[in-house]
Amino acid sequence: MIEVKDLTKTYGNIAAIEKISFSVPKGTILGLLGPNGAGKTTTMRILTTSLAPTSGKATVAGFDVVTAPQEVRKRIGYLPEVPPIYSDMSIMAYLKFVADIKEVPLDKKANRIGEVLEMLDLGKMSQRLIGHLSLGYRQRVGLAQALLHDPDVLVLDEPTRGLDPKQILEIRKLIKSLSGQRTIILSTHILPEVSSTCDDVIIVDQGKIVAADSVENLSQRLAGGKILDLEIKGPSDEVTKAFEKIDGVSAVKSLGRESKGVSKLEVSTDGTLEAREALFNCVVKNKWVLYQLSPVGVSLEDVFLKLTTKDSAL
Amino acid sequence: MNSRKLFAIVNRELGAYFSSPLGYFVLFVFFLIYGLFFWMICTGSHAATMQYFFANTMFVFFITTPLVTMRLWSEEEKNGTAELLKTSPLTIWEIVIGKYLGACCFFLVMSSVTLVYLTFILVLGNPDLMPLLANYLGYFLGVMAFFAIGLFASTLSENQIVSAIISLVILLGLWVIGYAGNMVQGPFGDFLKYISVLSHTEDFFKGVIDLSHVFYLVSLIFLGLFFSVKVLESKRS
Repeated sequence: MIEVKDLTKTYGNIAAIEKISFSVPKGTILGLLGPNGAGKTTTMRILTTSLAPTSGKATVAGFDVVTAPQEVRKRIGYLPEVPPIYSDMSIMAYLKFVADIKEVPLDKKANRIGEVLEMLDLGKMSQRLIGHLSLGYRQRVGLAQALLHDPDVLVLDEPTRGLDPKQILEIRKLIKSLSGQRTIILSTHILPEVSSTCDDVIIVDQGKIVAADSVENLSQRLAGGKILDLEIKGPSDEVTKAFEKIDGVSAVKSLGRESKGVSKLEVSTDGTLEAREALFNCVVKNKWVLYQLSPVGVSLEDVFLKLTTKDSAL
Repeated sequence: MNSRKLFAIVNRELGAYFSSPLGYFVLFVFFLIYGLFFWMICTGSHAATMQYFFANTMFVFFITTPLVTMRLWSEEEKNGTAELLKTSPLTIWEIVIGKYLGACCFFLVMSSVTLVYLTFILVLGNPDLMPLLANYLGYFLGVMAFFAIGLFASTLSENQIVSAIISLVILLGLWVIGYAGNMVQGPFGDFLKYISVLSHTEDFFKGVIDLSHVFYLVSLIFLGLFFSVKVLESKRS
Protein backbone atom coordinates (compact mmCIF):
# COMPACT_ATOMS: atom_id res chain seq x y z
CA MET A 1 0.00 0.00 0.00
CA ILE A 2 2.86 2.33 0.86
CA GLU A 3 6.24 2.05 -0.82
CA VAL A 4 9.15 4.22 0.19
CA LYS A 5 12.48 4.01 -1.61
CA ASP A 6 15.68 5.87 -0.74
CA LEU A 7 13.72 8.82 0.59
CA THR A 8 15.93 11.75 1.53
CA LYS A 9 15.10 15.21 2.80
CA THR A 10 17.84 17.70 3.46
CA TYR A 11 17.69 21.20 4.87
CA GLY A 12 20.90 22.86 3.71
CA ASN A 13 23.61 20.45 4.74
CA ILE A 14 21.56 18.75 7.38
CA ALA A 15 19.73 15.59 6.42
CA ALA A 16 16.42 15.22 8.26
CA ILE A 17 16.05 11.76 6.76
CA GLU A 18 18.58 9.88 4.67
CA LYS A 19 17.82 7.11 2.20
CA ILE A 20 14.90 5.66 4.08
CA SER A 21 13.24 2.66 2.45
CA PHE A 22 10.35 0.58 3.67
CA SER A 23 7.05 -0.79 2.53
CA VAL A 24 3.78 -1.26 4.33
CA PRO A 25 1.40 -3.98 3.11
CA LYS A 26 -2.34 -3.34 3.08
CA GLY A 27 -4.03 -3.69 6.45
CA THR A 28 -0.87 -3.36 8.51
CA ILE A 29 -0.31 -1.03 11.41
CA LEU A 30 3.24 0.23 11.26
CA GLY A 31 4.85 2.01 14.18
CA LEU A 32 7.52 4.59 13.51
CA LEU A 33 9.55 4.72 16.64
CA GLY A 34 12.37 7.06 17.44
CA PRO A 35 13.59 9.80 19.72
CA ASN A 36 12.46 13.36 19.10
CA GLY A 37 14.07 14.80 15.97
CA ALA A 38 14.74 11.39 14.44
CA GLY A 39 12.84 12.21 11.25
CA LYS A 40 9.45 10.64 12.00
CA THR A 41 7.43 13.77 11.28
CA THR A 42 9.47 14.57 8.16
CA THR A 43 8.75 11.09 6.78
CA MET A 44 5.05 11.49 7.51
CA ARG A 45 4.85 14.95 6.01
CA ILE A 46 6.40 13.64 2.79
CA LEU A 47 3.97 10.72 2.67
CA THR A 48 1.03 13.07 3.13
CA THR A 49 2.29 15.46 0.41
CA SER A 50 2.75 18.38 2.75
CA LEU A 51 6.49 18.36 2.09
CA ALA A 52 8.42 17.41 -1.05
CA PRO A 53 11.37 15.03 -0.71
CA THR A 54 14.85 16.10 -1.82
CA SER A 55 15.35 12.76 -3.52
CA GLY A 56 13.92 9.27 -3.52
CA LYS A 57 10.43 8.02 -4.23
CA ALA A 58 7.33 7.41 -2.19
CA THR A 59 4.04 6.00 -3.40
CA VAL A 60 0.72 5.63 -1.63
CA ALA A 61 -1.76 3.19 -3.17
CA GLY A 62 0.35 3.27 -6.33
CA PHE A 63 0.33 7.08 -6.67
CA ASP A 64 3.56 9.01 -6.42
CA VAL A 65 3.49 11.73 -3.75
CA VAL A 66 5.34 14.17 -6.00
CA THR A 67 3.76 13.57 -9.40
CA ALA A 68 0.20 12.68 -8.33
CA PRO A 69 -0.30 14.46 -5.00
CA GLN A 70 -4.05 15.02 -5.47
CA GLU A 71 -4.69 11.29 -5.87
CA VAL A 72 -2.62 10.61 -2.74
CA ARG A 73 -4.51 13.27 -0.77
CA LYS A 74 -7.86 11.68 -1.63
CA ARG A 75 -6.70 8.39 -0.15
CA ILE A 76 -4.87 9.52 2.94
CA GLY A 77 -6.04 10.77 6.31
CA TYR A 78 -3.48 12.71 8.27
CA LEU A 79 -3.37 13.70 11.90
CA PRO A 80 -0.36 16.00 12.34
CA GLU A 81 1.47 16.48 15.62
CA VAL A 82 -0.72 19.47 16.40
CA PRO A 83 -4.34 18.68 15.48
CA PRO A 84 -5.27 21.00 12.57
CA ILE A 85 -8.42 22.45 14.09
CA TYR A 86 -9.99 25.90 14.06
CA SER A 87 -10.69 26.97 17.61
CA ASP A 88 -13.36 29.45 16.49
CA MET A 89 -15.56 26.77 14.91
CA SER A 90 -17.92 24.26 16.46
CA ILE A 91 -17.08 20.59 15.95
CA MET A 92 -20.02 20.26 13.58
CA ALA A 93 -19.12 23.32 11.48
CA TYR A 94 -15.53 22.16 11.35
CA LEU A 95 -16.39 18.67 10.15
CA LYS A 96 -18.75 20.09 7.52
CA PHE A 97 -15.90 22.27 6.27
CA VAL A 98 -13.52 19.29 6.19
CA ALA A 99 -16.13 17.17 4.36
CA ASP A 100 -16.37 19.84 1.67
CA ILE A 101 -12.66 20.27 1.07
CA LYS A 102 -12.06 16.51 1.20
CA GLU A 103 -14.73 15.73 -1.37
CA VAL A 104 -17.04 13.63 0.79
CA PRO A 105 -20.03 13.07 -1.56
CA LEU A 106 -22.79 15.54 -0.70
CA ASP A 107 -25.46 12.85 -0.26
CA LYS A 108 -23.28 10.99 2.25
CA LYS A 109 -21.97 14.05 4.06
CA ALA A 110 -24.42 14.15 6.99
CA ASN A 111 -24.29 10.37 7.49
CA ARG A 112 -20.55 10.23 7.44
CA ILE A 113 -20.20 13.08 9.94
CA GLY A 114 -22.65 11.26 12.22
CA GLU A 115 -20.67 8.04 11.96
CA VAL A 116 -17.37 9.67 12.76
CA LEU A 117 -18.84 11.62 15.68
CA GLU A 118 -20.17 8.38 17.11
CA MET A 119 -16.94 6.50 16.49
CA LEU A 120 -15.00 9.08 18.49
CA ASP A 121 -17.71 9.60 21.07
CA LEU A 122 -18.12 13.27 20.17
CA GLY A 123 -21.86 13.16 19.44
CA LYS A 124 -22.96 15.14 22.50
CA MET A 125 -20.25 17.72 21.98
CA SER A 126 -20.93 18.47 18.31
CA GLN A 127 -22.17 22.02 18.90
CA ARG A 128 -19.34 22.96 21.25
CA LEU A 129 -16.67 25.40 20.13
CA ILE A 130 -13.40 23.60 19.51
CA GLY A 131 -11.54 26.33 21.39
CA HIS A 132 -13.41 25.35 24.57
CA LEU A 133 -12.46 21.68 24.41
CA SER A 134 -9.84 19.87 26.47
CA LEU A 135 -6.67 18.59 24.87
CA GLY A 136 -8.05 15.06 24.68
CA TYR A 137 -11.19 16.15 22.86
CA ARG A 138 -9.17 18.30 20.46
CA GLN A 139 -7.08 15.27 19.61
CA ARG A 140 -10.26 13.33 18.92
CA VAL A 141 -11.59 16.08 16.66
CA GLY A 142 -8.24 15.87 14.85
CA LEU A 143 -8.76 12.14 14.41
CA ALA A 144 -12.33 12.72 13.23
CA GLN A 145 -10.94 15.01 10.55
CA ALA A 146 -8.48 12.34 9.40
CA LEU A 147 -11.19 9.67 9.22
CA LEU A 148 -13.95 11.73 7.65
CA HIS A 149 -13.36 10.90 3.99
CA ASP A 150 -12.92 7.21 4.84
CA PRO A 151 -9.31 7.02 3.60
CA ASP A 152 -7.45 3.81 2.79
CA VAL A 153 -4.36 5.03 4.56
CA LEU A 154 -4.11 6.76 7.91
CA VAL A 155 -1.01 8.63 8.98
CA LEU A 156 -1.08 9.53 12.65
CA ASP A 157 1.68 11.61 14.19
CA GLU A 158 1.72 10.82 17.90
CA PRO A 159 -2.00 10.10 18.14
CA THR A 160 -2.03 9.76 21.93
CA ARG A 161 -0.23 13.00 22.69
CA GLY A 162 -1.83 14.95 25.48
CA LEU A 163 -4.32 12.27 26.44
CA ASP A 164 -4.87 10.85 29.89
CA PRO A 165 -4.28 7.11 30.49
CA LYS A 166 -7.91 6.16 30.00
CA GLN A 167 -8.17 8.10 26.76
CA ILE A 168 -4.88 6.60 25.58
CA LEU A 169 -6.33 3.10 25.97
CA GLU A 170 -9.48 4.15 24.13
CA ILE A 171 -7.58 5.67 21.23
CA ARG A 172 -5.34 2.62 20.96
CA LYS A 173 -8.40 0.41 20.87
CA LEU A 174 -9.91 2.62 18.22
CA ILE A 175 -6.76 2.52 16.10
CA LYS A 176 -6.71 -1.25 16.34
CA SER A 177 -10.34 -1.43 15.31
CA LEU A 178 -9.65 0.79 12.31
CA SER A 179 -7.07 -1.57 10.88
CA GLY A 180 -8.06 -4.47 8.71
CA GLN A 181 -9.20 -2.60 5.66
CA ARG A 182 -6.98 0.37 6.36
CA THR A 183 -3.25 0.73 6.40
CA ILE A 184 -2.01 2.78 9.29
CA ILE A 185 1.29 4.43 10.06
CA LEU A 186 1.67 5.93 13.48
CA SER A 187 4.64 7.59 15.06
CA THR A 188 5.45 7.66 18.70
CA HIS A 189 8.24 7.82 21.18
CA ILE A 190 6.20 5.94 23.72
CA LEU A 191 7.24 2.30 23.56
CA PRO A 192 4.21 0.48 24.99
CA GLU A 193 2.21 2.12 22.25
CA VAL A 194 4.10 0.17 19.63
CA SER A 195 3.93 -3.18 21.38
CA SER A 196 0.24 -2.79 22.14
CA THR A 197 -0.93 -1.39 18.81
CA CYS A 198 1.42 -2.13 15.96
CA ASP A 199 2.13 -5.18 13.80
CA ASP A 200 5.43 -3.95 12.48
CA VAL A 201 7.89 -1.46 13.80
CA ILE A 202 10.56 0.71 12.27
CA ILE A 203 13.05 2.33 14.57
CA VAL A 204 14.56 5.53 13.22
CA ASP A 205 17.39 7.49 14.68
CA GLN A 206 19.12 10.55 13.26
CA GLY A 207 17.31 10.21 9.95
CA LYS A 208 18.13 6.59 9.35
CA ILE A 209 16.34 3.30 9.88
CA VAL A 210 18.21 1.35 12.54
CA ALA A 211 15.82 -1.58 12.72
CA ALA A 212 12.71 -2.80 10.93
CA ASP A 213 10.83 -5.95 11.80
CA SER A 214 7.69 -7.27 13.41
CA VAL A 215 7.35 -6.27 17.03
CA GLU A 216 7.91 -9.85 18.35
CA ASN A 217 10.88 -10.62 16.14
CA LEU A 218 12.57 -7.45 17.04
CA SER A 219 12.55 -8.05 20.78
CA GLN A 220 13.67 -11.66 20.26
CA ARG A 221 16.35 -10.95 17.72
CA LEU A 222 18.00 -8.33 19.81
CA ALA A 223 17.75 -10.17 23.10
CA GLY A 224 21.20 -11.81 22.69
CA GLY A 225 21.85 -14.79 25.05
CA LYS A 226 19.03 -16.02 27.19
CA ILE A 227 19.00 -14.63 30.64
CA LEU A 228 17.32 -16.29 33.62
CA ASP A 229 16.34 -14.81 36.92
CA LEU A 230 16.76 -17.12 39.88
CA GLU A 231 15.87 -16.92 43.54
CA ILE A 232 17.50 -19.54 45.66
CA LYS A 233 17.65 -20.28 49.35
CA GLY A 234 21.26 -21.09 49.87
CA PRO A 235 24.66 -19.51 50.39
CA SER A 236 25.25 -17.06 47.61
CA ASP A 237 28.95 -17.81 47.04
CA GLU A 238 28.56 -21.57 46.84
CA VAL A 239 25.57 -21.32 44.56
CA THR A 240 27.43 -19.04 42.20
CA LYS A 241 30.44 -21.34 42.06
CA ALA A 242 28.30 -24.42 41.47
CA PHE A 243 26.32 -22.73 38.69
CA GLU A 244 29.40 -21.53 36.88
CA LYS A 245 30.54 -25.12 36.42
CA ILE A 246 27.34 -26.11 34.59
CA ASP A 247 27.56 -26.59 30.81
CA GLY A 248 25.68 -23.92 28.90
CA VAL A 249 26.00 -21.29 31.61
CA SER A 250 28.19 -18.44 30.51
CA ALA A 251 27.94 -16.07 33.43
CA VAL A 252 26.41 -15.81 36.86
CA LYS A 253 25.79 -12.46 38.39
CA SER A 254 24.69 -12.03 41.95
CA LEU A 255 22.11 -9.29 42.21
CA GLY A 256 23.46 -8.84 45.73
CA ARG A 257 20.18 -8.75 47.54
CA GLU A 258 20.20 -11.37 50.23
CA SER A 259 17.67 -11.64 52.99
CA LYS A 260 16.80 -14.62 55.14
CA GLY A 261 19.33 -16.68 53.20
CA VAL A 262 17.66 -16.07 49.84
CA SER A 263 19.98 -14.98 47.04
CA LYS A 264 18.92 -13.47 43.77
CA LEU A 265 20.98 -14.32 40.73
CA GLU A 266 21.01 -13.46 37.07
CA VAL A 267 22.28 -16.37 35.00
CA SER A 268 23.23 -16.06 31.34
CA THR A 269 22.75 -19.32 29.46
CA ASP A 270 22.87 -20.59 25.90
CA GLY A 271 19.11 -20.58 25.93
CA THR A 272 18.58 -24.35 25.83
CA LEU A 273 16.20 -26.23 28.10
CA GLU A 274 19.05 -28.51 29.13
CA ALA A 275 20.78 -25.62 30.81
CA ARG A 276 17.66 -24.91 32.83
CA GLU A 277 17.37 -28.57 33.79
CA ALA A 278 20.99 -28.64 34.88
CA LEU A 279 20.42 -25.60 37.03
CA PHE A 280 17.42 -27.25 38.67
CA ASN A 281 19.28 -30.53 39.27
CA CYS A 282 22.22 -28.67 40.76
CA VAL A 283 19.90 -26.98 43.25
CA VAL A 284 18.29 -30.29 44.20
CA LYS A 285 21.64 -32.04 44.56
CA ASN A 286 22.90 -29.41 46.98
CA LYS A 287 19.62 -29.40 48.90
CA TRP A 288 19.03 -25.71 48.33
CA VAL A 289 15.53 -24.44 47.67
CA LEU A 290 14.49 -22.97 44.34
CA TYR A 291 11.96 -20.14 44.74
CA GLN A 292 12.03 -18.79 41.25
CA LEU A 293 13.42 -19.52 37.82
CA SER A 294 12.17 -17.28 35.08
CA PRO A 295 13.49 -16.12 31.73
CA VAL A 296 13.98 -12.36 31.42
CA GLY A 297 12.35 -10.97 28.30
CA VAL A 298 14.09 -8.08 26.64
CA SER A 299 11.53 -5.35 26.33
CA LEU A 300 11.20 -3.08 23.37
CA GLU A 301 12.48 -0.40 25.67
CA ASP A 302 15.84 -2.12 25.95
CA VAL A 303 15.98 -2.67 22.22
CA PHE A 304 15.15 0.93 21.59
CA LEU A 305 17.76 2.28 23.95
CA LYS A 306 20.33 -0.14 22.65
CA LEU A 307 19.73 0.98 19.09
CA THR A 308 19.39 4.67 19.58
CA THR A 309 21.92 5.30 22.31
CA LYS A 310 25.39 5.80 21.00
CA ASP A 311 26.90 6.79 24.30
CA SER A 312 28.42 3.65 25.78
CA ALA A 313 28.56 5.24 29.22
CA LEU A 314 24.83 4.74 29.43
CA MET B 1 -11.31 25.10 -9.63
CA ASN B 2 -14.02 23.27 -7.75
CA SER B 3 -16.85 25.55 -6.65
CA ARG B 4 -17.86 23.45 -3.64
CA LYS B 5 -14.35 23.49 -2.17
CA LEU B 6 -13.90 27.15 -3.05
CA PHE B 7 -17.18 28.07 -1.40
CA ALA B 8 -16.22 26.09 1.70
CA ILE B 9 -13.02 28.10 2.08
CA VAL B 10 -14.70 31.45 1.40
CA ASN B 11 -17.38 30.60 3.91
CA ARG B 12 -14.86 29.55 6.54
CA GLU B 13 -12.81 32.75 6.01
CA LEU B 14 -15.81 35.02 6.27
CA GLY B 15 -16.98 33.12 9.34
CA ALA B 16 -13.58 33.58 10.94
CA TYR B 17 -13.94 37.38 10.80
CA PHE B 18 -17.21 37.24 12.66
CA SER B 19 -16.13 34.72 15.26
CA SER B 20 -13.29 36.87 16.54
CA PRO B 21 -13.35 40.30 18.15
CA LEU B 22 -11.00 41.55 15.41
CA GLY B 23 -13.73 41.47 12.76
CA TYR B 24 -16.16 43.47 14.87
CA PHE B 25 -13.43 45.86 15.93
CA VAL B 26 -12.50 46.57 12.32
CA LEU B 27 -16.16 47.02 11.38
CA PHE B 28 -16.76 49.35 14.30
CA VAL B 29 -13.78 51.55 13.48
CA PHE B 30 -14.70 51.58 9.82
CA PHE B 31 -18.29 52.58 10.28
CA LEU B 32 -17.12 55.31 12.64
CA ILE B 33 -14.58 56.69 10.17
CA TYR B 34 -16.95 56.39 7.21
CA GLY B 35 -19.67 58.18 9.11
CA LEU B 36 -17.28 60.94 10.04
CA PHE B 37 -16.00 61.29 6.48
CA PHE B 38 -19.49 61.37 5.01
CA TRP B 39 -20.65 63.91 7.52
CA MET B 40 -17.59 66.16 7.05
CA ILE B 41 -17.11 65.81 3.31
CA CYS B 42 -20.54 65.31 1.78
CA THR B 43 -22.74 67.31 4.08
CA GLY B 44 -20.00 69.92 4.40
CA SER B 45 -19.62 70.42 0.67
CA HIS B 46 -23.34 70.25 -0.09
CA ALA B 47 -22.39 68.50 -3.32
CA ALA B 48 -24.29 65.44 -4.56
CA THR B 49 -21.13 63.45 -5.20
CA MET B 50 -19.14 60.77 -3.44
CA GLN B 51 -15.82 61.38 -5.15
CA TYR B 52 -14.12 63.14 -2.22
CA PHE B 53 -15.54 60.62 0.17
CA PHE B 54 -14.05 57.64 -1.71
CA ALA B 55 -10.74 59.39 -2.41
CA ASN B 56 -10.28 59.82 1.32
CA THR B 57 -11.34 56.30 2.27
CA MET B 58 -8.43 54.96 0.20
CA PHE B 59 -6.07 56.41 2.78
CA VAL B 60 -7.92 54.57 5.52
CA PHE B 61 -7.21 51.31 3.70
CA PHE B 62 -3.47 51.82 3.84
CA ILE B 63 -3.73 51.25 7.57
CA THR B 64 -6.63 48.82 7.75
CA THR B 65 -5.76 46.42 4.93
CA PRO B 66 -3.03 44.84 7.10
CA LEU B 67 -5.57 44.42 9.94
CA VAL B 68 -7.94 42.51 7.69
CA THR B 69 -5.43 40.44 5.72
CA MET B 70 -2.68 39.68 8.25
CA ARG B 71 -4.39 36.57 9.57
CA LEU B 72 -5.24 35.04 6.20
CA TRP B 73 -2.30 32.65 5.97
CA SER B 74 -0.20 33.47 9.07
CA GLU B 75 -2.92 32.13 11.34
CA GLU B 76 -3.14 28.83 9.44
CA GLU B 77 0.60 28.41 9.72
CA LYS B 78 0.61 29.25 13.42
CA ASN B 79 -2.30 26.98 14.36
CA GLY B 80 -1.07 24.06 12.30
CA THR B 81 -4.23 24.12 10.19
CA ALA B 82 -2.06 24.82 7.14
CA GLU B 83 -1.27 21.09 7.24
CA LEU B 84 -4.97 20.29 6.81
CA LEU B 85 -5.31 22.54 3.77
CA LYS B 86 -2.05 21.34 2.24
CA THR B 87 -2.89 17.65 2.63
CA SER B 88 -6.51 17.92 1.46
CA PRO B 89 -7.28 17.46 -2.21
CA LEU B 90 -7.14 21.21 -2.83
CA THR B 91 -4.94 23.03 -5.32
CA ILE B 92 -2.91 25.95 -4.02
CA TRP B 93 -4.86 28.27 -6.33
CA GLU B 94 -8.09 27.07 -4.72
CA ILE B 95 -6.70 27.84 -1.27
CA VAL B 96 -5.36 31.27 -2.26
CA ILE B 97 -8.41 32.39 -4.23
CA GLY B 98 -10.76 31.04 -1.57
CA LYS B 99 -8.98 33.03 1.11
CA TYR B 100 -8.79 36.12 -1.06
CA LEU B 101 -12.50 36.00 -1.88
CA GLY B 102 -13.25 35.46 1.80
CA ALA B 103 -11.42 38.68 2.66
CA CYS B 104 -13.15 40.46 -0.25
CA CYS B 105 -16.53 39.34 1.08
CA PHE B 106 -15.64 40.89 4.40
CA PHE B 107 -14.74 44.05 2.50
CA LEU B 108 -18.21 43.98 0.95
CA VAL B 109 -19.72 43.81 4.42
CA MET B 110 -17.56 46.76 5.45
CA SER B 111 -18.61 48.70 2.38
CA SER B 112 -22.30 47.95 2.82
CA VAL B 113 -22.58 51.08 4.94
CA THR B 114 -21.81 53.23 1.89
CA LEU B 115 -25.19 52.19 0.49
CA VAL B 116 -26.78 54.28 3.21
CA TYR B 117 -24.82 57.33 2.09
CA LEU B 118 -25.57 56.54 -1.54
CA THR B 119 -29.26 56.48 -0.70
CA PHE B 120 -28.99 59.89 0.97
CA ILE B 121 -27.30 61.34 -2.08
CA LEU B 122 -29.73 59.77 -4.53
CA VAL B 123 -32.78 60.88 -2.57
CA LEU B 124 -31.65 64.34 -1.51
CA GLY B 125 -29.51 65.29 -4.49
CA ASN B 126 -29.52 64.76 -8.20
CA PRO B 127 -26.13 63.19 -8.96
CA ASP B 128 -24.80 61.92 -12.29
CA LEU B 129 -24.90 58.16 -12.19
CA MET B 130 -21.88 57.36 -14.38
CA PRO B 131 -19.36 59.15 -12.17
CA LEU B 132 -20.81 57.33 -9.15
CA LEU B 133 -20.28 54.04 -10.96
CA ALA B 134 -16.67 55.02 -11.75
CA ASN B 135 -16.18 55.97 -8.08
CA TYR B 136 -17.37 52.58 -6.91
CA LEU B 137 -15.31 50.72 -9.52
CA GLY B 138 -12.13 52.55 -8.49
CA TYR B 139 -12.89 51.99 -4.83
CA PHE B 140 -13.47 48.24 -5.26
CA LEU B 141 -10.54 47.62 -7.58
CA GLY B 142 -8.21 49.72 -5.44
CA VAL B 143 -9.06 48.00 -2.18
CA MET B 144 -9.05 44.57 -3.81
CA ALA B 145 -5.51 45.27 -5.04
CA PHE B 146 -4.53 46.28 -1.50
CA PHE B 147 -6.02 43.03 -0.18
CA ALA B 148 -4.10 40.93 -2.71
CA ILE B 149 -0.89 42.55 -1.48
CA GLY B 150 -1.96 41.95 2.12
CA LEU B 151 -2.62 38.27 1.39
CA PHE B 152 0.83 37.96 -0.17
CA ALA B 153 2.39 39.55 2.93
CA SER B 154 0.50 37.09 5.10
CA THR B 155 2.07 34.12 3.33
CA LEU B 156 5.53 35.41 4.24
CA SER B 157 5.37 35.00 8.00
CA GLU B 158 3.57 32.90 10.57
CA ASN B 159 3.55 35.91 12.85
CA GLN B 160 0.51 38.09 12.18
CA ILE B 161 2.21 41.26 13.40
CA VAL B 162 5.15 40.69 11.06
CA SER B 163 2.71 40.05 8.19
CA ALA B 164 0.85 43.27 9.00
CA ILE B 165 4.09 45.26 9.01
CA ILE B 166 5.21 43.76 5.69
CA SER B 167 1.94 44.68 3.99
CA LEU B 168 1.97 48.14 5.56
CA VAL B 169 5.49 48.74 4.22
CA ILE B 170 4.57 47.56 0.71
CA LEU B 171 1.38 49.63 0.64
CA LEU B 172 3.00 52.78 1.98
CA GLY B 173 5.85 52.22 -0.47
CA LEU B 174 3.37 52.13 -3.35
CA TRP B 175 1.91 55.39 -2.07
CA VAL B 176 5.10 57.32 -1.28
CA ILE B 177 6.71 56.33 -4.55
CA GLY B 178 4.27 58.68 -6.29
CA TYR B 179 5.66 61.69 -4.38
CA ALA B 180 9.18 60.57 -5.24
CA GLY B 181 8.09 60.46 -8.86
CA ASN B 182 6.97 64.09 -8.68
CA MET B 183 10.42 65.14 -7.50
CA VAL B 184 12.40 63.20 -10.10
CA GLN B 185 12.47 64.59 -13.62
CA GLY B 186 12.38 62.60 -16.84
CA PRO B 187 11.29 59.08 -17.70
CA PHE B 188 12.36 57.61 -14.37
CA GLY B 189 10.07 60.02 -12.58
CA ASP B 190 7.23 59.03 -14.90
CA PHE B 191 7.94 55.40 -14.18
CA LEU B 192 7.76 55.98 -10.42
CA LYS B 193 4.49 57.84 -10.84
CA TYR B 194 3.16 54.96 -12.92
CA ILE B 195 3.95 52.45 -10.17
CA SER B 196 2.12 54.46 -7.50
CA VAL B 197 -1.33 53.10 -6.69
CA LEU B 198 -2.95 56.44 -6.08
CA SER B 199 -2.14 57.74 -9.55
CA HIS B 200 -4.32 54.91 -10.82
CA THR B 201 -7.28 55.42 -8.52
CA GLU B 202 -7.47 59.24 -8.79
CA ASP B 203 -9.15 59.22 -12.19
CA PHE B 204 -11.88 56.84 -11.04
CA PHE B 205 -12.77 59.28 -8.28
CA LYS B 206 -12.96 62.09 -10.82
CA GLY B 207 -15.58 59.96 -12.56
CA VAL B 208 -13.42 58.66 -15.40
CA ILE B 209 -13.05 54.97 -16.23
CA ASP B 210 -9.73 54.55 -18.00
CA LEU B 211 -8.94 51.01 -19.12
CA SER B 212 -5.22 51.47 -18.51
CA HIS B 213 -5.98 52.05 -14.82
CA VAL B 214 -8.27 49.04 -14.73
CA PHE B 215 -5.45 47.04 -16.30
CA TYR B 216 -2.96 48.27 -13.68
CA LEU B 217 -5.17 47.40 -10.72
CA VAL B 218 -6.24 44.01 -12.09
CA SER B 219 -2.56 43.22 -12.76
CA LEU B 220 -1.74 44.15 -9.18
CA ILE B 221 -4.45 41.78 -7.92
CA PHE B 222 -3.15 39.01 -10.15
CA LEU B 223 0.45 39.58 -9.06
CA GLY B 224 -0.51 39.51 -5.38
CA LEU B 225 -2.33 36.19 -5.83
CA PHE B 226 0.35 34.77 -8.11
CA PHE B 227 3.16 35.48 -5.65
CA SER B 228 1.06 34.10 -2.77
CA VAL B 229 0.69 30.85 -4.73
CA LYS B 230 4.43 30.79 -5.45
CA VAL B 231 5.33 31.31 -1.78
CA LEU B 232 2.99 28.53 -0.67
CA GLU B 233 4.33 26.22 -3.37
CA SER B 234 7.89 26.90 -2.26
CA LYS B 235 6.99 25.90 1.30
CA ARG B 236 6.52 22.35 0.11
CA SER B 237 10.11 22.00 -1.08
